[in-house]
Amino acid sequence: MTRYSAAAAASVGLMLAAAAAIFLYAPTDALQGPVQRIFYLHVAAAIAAFVSFGVVLVGSVFYLWRNSLRADRLARAGALVGLVFTTVTLLMGMLWAKSVWGAYWAWDARLTSTLVLWIIYAGYLLVRRLAAPGRQAARFAAVVGIFGFIDVPVVYFSVSWWRTQHPGPVITTGALPPEMLLTFLFTMACTLVLAGTMIAIRYRIETLTDAAPVAAIVSSPATHLEPAR
Amino acid sequence: MRSITIALAIARKDLVSEWRTRELVPALAQFIVLALVIANFGFQIDSRSAPAIAPGVLWLALVFAGLVAFGRAFASEREQATLEAVLLSAAPPAAIFAGKALAAGLLLVLCEAVLLPALALFFGVPMSFGLAVIVLLATVGMAALGCMFAAMVAQLRARELLLPLLTLPLWIPFIVAGGQGVQVAMGAGGSLDQPLGLLLDFDILFVVLTSLAARFVLDD
Repeated sequence: MTRYSAAAAASVGLMLAAAAAIFLYAPTDALQGPVQRIFYLHVAAAIAAFVSFGVVLVGSVFYLWRNSLRADRLARAGALVGLVFTTVTLLMGMLWAKSVWGAYWAWDARLTSTLVLWIIYAGYLLVRRLAAPGRQAARFAAVVGIFGFIDVPVVYFSVSWWRTQHPGPVITTGALPPEMLLTFLFTMACTLVLAGTMIAIRYRIETLTDAAPVAAIVSSPATHLEPAR
Repeated sequence: MRSITIALAIARKDLVSEWRTRELVPALAQFIVLALVIANFGFQIDSRSAPAIAPGVLWLALVFAGLVAFGRAFASEREQATLEAVLLSAAPPAAIFAGKALAAGLLLVLCEAVLLPALALFFGVPMSFGLAVIVLLATVGMAALGCMFAAMVAQLRARELLLPLLTLPLWIPFIVAGGQGVQVAMGAGGSLDQPLGLLLDFDILFVVLTSLAARFVLDD
């Protein structure tokens, strides 16, 4: 078993433990009933998405600053993982909203800015695909990654800047009972481990992809003698 | 100082070329009037609903006209392969970018000079100084962002596809603050200070950021 499969297995185990905490340990919400249990993974996934996009920002700035290929790979890995966690946040939020608000979607500042976040990083991946591979793709994507991060604080502060239907912060305000807070913190830690593992694995895949054309030429002696077509 | 001279020279070149061909502005002006016609059919506008719908129509028309205007700013350079020539000169990329953005922004202002009177004529929206200031302030930031992404996509495949995808999400602050400001200017009550302040903040933020990024976008 490689380091990566071990980390992946550990992350899955931690997520199962988090699920146990959510469904067995955390008390049922008096007002909303069992559907409130969506909260734990919904918020944890949102934080994991912010952290992943933070990784994109750091990788992008470092790439432009130092021309470091590693920083670019890190940004690539972060963007994909962040997009996955944003999708999870949006989908779980929609399920919760259907039950509590009566509709899957409300054009509220936080929901809208999160959807925009999703679109921005989907655009980031599109730029990577459409630009000439190598320096151009890395440079353009880094610019999009830096500009796109502007939306992250907008999503975070949207509940305090605008009057929203989406609830405001509950973690730092002490509004949660201790069992719920503990369950949330545990779920968040497990989700961040999962995100970290996903980024590490994705980083490894990007490293192998970058090395692939070179490896192909080296392993088959006949090909590198032919002129490039 | 030299950068400003270069930026002005490039802006002048683009404006002269537009004046000689007269391609973009007449087409965009026509597009804007068409957008109002489409809005009429889409929203079933009558004299009572017109003032409520007008701000939305204004931003929709402006945003899509802007996308075309900024996309064209670099499309002509690409078609004639003149961008490489400009980049080969000793001019700093930020100055080239500023010149392109200035010219494209001014062309969009010309289109706004058609849009606002057209809204007054067809939607009964009174033209006011406040309205013009808000639209102009939004144009500054929109031009900075729009030209940066236009420069980027001009070097990519599927450029028409990608320009709106990259630009529109980052234009949203201007539409939020501008939309609010236009509603106030059209008599919805409230103060213009907050939207004007927000527009100025975003203008400064994006003008600074795009000039810093120009080096990485215009460099091949």
